[in-house]
Parts: sequence; C-alpha cells; structure tokens
Amino acid sequence: MTDRTTLLTFLSRASLAGMLAAVALFVGPAAAHKDPVTPQQLKAYQDAFMEQVRKGDLLFHGDDATAKQMGVTLSTTGMACAMCHPMTSDTHPQSFPKFQAQMTKFATLRDMINWCIEKPNQGEKIDPDSDAMKALEAYIYWSNTGSVLVPGRY
Amino acid sequence: MSELDKVRREMAAVLQQPGARPDPALRLTRRTFIHRSCLFGAATVAETFAWWPLLNTIDVAYAAEAPFKFAWISDTHLYPKSLNTRFVDKTIRAVKEVQAMNPPADFLIFGGDLAQLGKIEELELGVEILKDAKIRKVYIPGEHDWYLDLGKKWGELFGEAHWTFDHKGVRFIGLDTVSRAPDYWTMRKMTPEERMGHMATLDGTVAGPWAGVGRDQLDWLQKTLANWDRNRPVVIFSHNPLYEYYPPWNFWVRDWRDVNEVLKPYTKVTNIHGHVHQVLYNEIGTMRSVGMLATSWPWPYAPEGVPKLTKPMIRVDPGDPYDGVGWETWNVSAKDELETEYIMWGRKQVFVQSDADSSLSQPEILRPRIADSQWPY
Repeated sequence: MTDRTTLLTFLSRASLAGMLAAVALFVGPAAAHKDPVTPQQLKAYQDAFMEQVRKGDLLFHGDDATAKQMGVTLSTTGMACAMCHPMTSDTHPQSFPKFQAQMTKFATLRDMINWCIEKPNQGEKIDPDSDAMKALEAYIYWSNTGSVLVPGRY
Repeated sequence: MSELDKVRREMAAVLQQPGARPDPALRLTRRTFIHRSCLFGAATVAETFAWWPLLNTIDVAYAAEAPFKFAWISDTHLYPKSLNTRFVDKTIRAVKEVQAMNPPADFLIFGGDLAQLGKIEELELGVEILKDAKIRKVYIPGEHDWYLDLGKKWGELFGEAHWTFDHKGVRFIGLDTVSRAPDYWTMRKMTPEERMGHMATLDGTVAGPWAGVGRDQLDWLQKTLANWDRNRPVVIFSHNPLYEYYPPWNFWVRDWRDVNEVLKPYTKVTNIHGHVHQVLYNEIGTMRSVGMLATSWPWPYAPEGVPKLTKPMIRVDPGDPYDGVGWETWNVSAKDELETEYIMWGRKQVFVQSDADSSLSQPEILRPRIADSQWPY
C-alpha cells in the first residue's frame, strides 16, 4: 500500500510538473509581456510620452511649424497659450473635470483647451481626440507633475 | 534645499534686518467711482466709466511742496493693428483716461513693453496712441521693445533708457533693467527675430537671467543720489522688480544685492515696476516695491515666491479682455505719502475678498518647459 501510494504521489506530482512545463512551454511565450519590464522598454515608453510633451510644449508656445505639421490653427491673434499660462500656470489640470463658469457646463480639460483656442486665441477648435489635443494635454499634465488632484475645485 | 530657496534665505538674511523698513507712508487703493457714475444716469454710465479717471495712480508729495499726481501705463504689448486690435483698443482707452484725469496728472510714465515683438511698426503705433496724452511723458524700455534691434528704434524714439529729474521735492529715476542680457544669440547664430522670440517668451529657458541693472548704471545711480537728502522721497521706475520674486520669469533683477547696497542709506525709496502684469507689494530693506497692471493681459502669480506683504489681486475672467488689466495713478501728498490707485477695468474690487477669489488658493507645482532648449527645434 505504502509503495502504491508513493508511486501515485510520484506520478501525480510528475504529471503536475509536466503540465506546468507544458504551460510554460506553450502558453508562456504568448504571455511574455508579464516578464518584468526592461530598462529598454521603460525608455521606449518614456520617450513616447516625452515626444508628445515636446510637441505639446511647442504648440502651447505658439510654434507655427508644429501647428502646421499637425494641421491645427490654435490662434489667429498672435496670442499663444503660454502668454497667459507661463509654465502652464493657472491651467489647473488637476481640478478637472469640473463645472466651468465660462462655459456654464461640466467640463473636461479638453473642453477648456478648446474654449481657450476659440475665445481668447480666436483659433479653430480641434478634435478632442486629435494628436494635437493629446500632445497639449500631455504637456499640461507633465508640467503640473506633483500638483495634488482636486477634481471639481473652482 | 533648492538653489532658489538658498537665494531666498540669503535675501531675507541680507535685507530683512531688524528695524530695516521703508517709511510706512504708502497706501494701495482702488477707489470706485460707481456712485459718481450713477449721478449721471444709466445712459451715460458706460461713457462716464470709460472716461472717468479710474486710474492706477500714485500720488507723491513732499512736505514743503504741493501735492500732485502722476500716472503709470505699461505692458501694452502692441501687435500691428492688422493682427490684433484688442491690445490697441485697451492702450487707447488707458491713454484717454490718463488725459481725462481731473486734476490732471503732472506726467505719465510709460513702464516698458510698448511693443510685443520690438517691430518698428509696433513701436511707432505706440507713439501714435500715446500722443493723445498731452501731458509730459517719460519712458523706460521693456524687453519686448528691445531685442529685435537691440534698442535701436526705441532709442531713436525715446532717447536715453535711464534718466532722472526732480519734481516738487521728489527725485524720480528711470532705470533700464532690460538691455544687459548675457549674449545668448551670437554663438547660436540666431536671427534678430529668433533672438526676440526667445526674449518674448516669459517662461522660455534660452534667454536666461536677462534682467539686471548693471555695474555702470549702478554707479550712475549712486552718483545721482549722492547729493539727495536721505530722508526725502525717491521714486525709481523700472520694468522689472528690483528684488527677487521669481527668477525663471525674470520677476527680479539679478543684481538686486548691489541695488540694495546703493539704496540702503535712503529711507523713502519707492520702486514702481511693470513686467509682472499683476498687483504686487513688497518691502526690501528700506525700499518698497509696487507692481503695476498691464493693459494687455494679466499674468498669473508665480508658483512660488509671491511676497508675503502682497494682498493678491482678484482672480479674473479669461473671457473678458478688459478684466485684470488697466493702469494706475499715484498721489503724492503733502506729508510725503504715496498713494497708488489701481484702475482695473471692469472690477470694483481689485484685491481678493475670499480664498475662492484667489488663484493662490490652489497650489501648483510646475516644471519649466523643455522644447525651447532643443535648439533648433
């Protein structure tokens, strides 16, 4: 009895190990993204982000070449976002979404960006999902890194 | 401790010695003329409001002589009319209001940044508009006036960038805090337009710490004050504040220590400055410093360094081009008292009334921009 139990235990353990090996062999490669992140990957992710920050910075500061390249007209008055918001001050991305008095509606940061483009800058409103909007958003959030989230704050 | 913190601590240690304060004779006000407007009836309210001297004035007087007023306008940032008439309209309004002051101001000081990009047509447009103020006018330059042609056109139009005159017992001094920027353009082979572009970007990182008085001008200042009674009022006009508020935006002069050294013996020094586009008040040693509004647009307060003595201006409506901007009158009384009045268009209250009124109630942590340091783009 004892030998039989030992044999069964051995076989079940062996089959479990075999199954695990099979999982590792066949399923494993498909789940390679679960490996710890590599420094190269981190750099690639960061570079992708910072490229958007850089483009957003240029758009925010009224760089004509970047605006043209991205197909947007953010201003027709010579005004750029940064003229009222140096270093993105007073944009308060951490307070959105919130009721925005100028628009008399519950608004996102993207709504507010478009309001500034249309009103003070007298430019052309941009698609909220466009590359230019994402870049502007990336720059504004990046520049406010460390500010405390206070959604809804006036 | 950050570099900025270290310098701030040094500034406090050097300047805020026990007992070192300017003479307390200063008031900041925003008189409201609404009741007078009402006397004229609703139909004329708009006209009255537009023409009544709702001015940022500073009245300066010396005991022995008559009280008087003068007016300050600055930071009009004129673009050519073809591009943007909004700033032109506001400049015209300010100049008309100065001219309508009753009793009239003895003179108008224009505190710099007449133009936006230093163009000849922008500067000439400014001269044209300012002609409507028939009183005496004096000028100091701003960086926006200077860095397209390094002050050539400005000099042709307005003469020397620093000067002094005595008026009814007060010594007035105009300083040039903009023309002594370290050369950031030659090595990089910038065009004049590129040089101007970097200078015109408040949060740019390329032009660096450009604001300064310079050794030569400090020596001139010392000489100019040498024969002046140390207890009589001195008013110094400068584009940038003569202390350190926020260097990344050149809300300072880099040689504030030397400026303070020169001014230390004088007990009634008032520095009136532009550039910040906001209400500011500070005391540094025996000098007080008062920030003036722009006519063009208001800047937010810097994320740190706002002087504790400043009662902040009210948070403004970005949808109203006339909000948060205007000009100032100064009264000089017979008791050496200086009183400044902020004429902020469209506001009865210039100063914050509650936390919610203040942009400072929402703290920000901000990073400097990056894209302009990757030259060329």
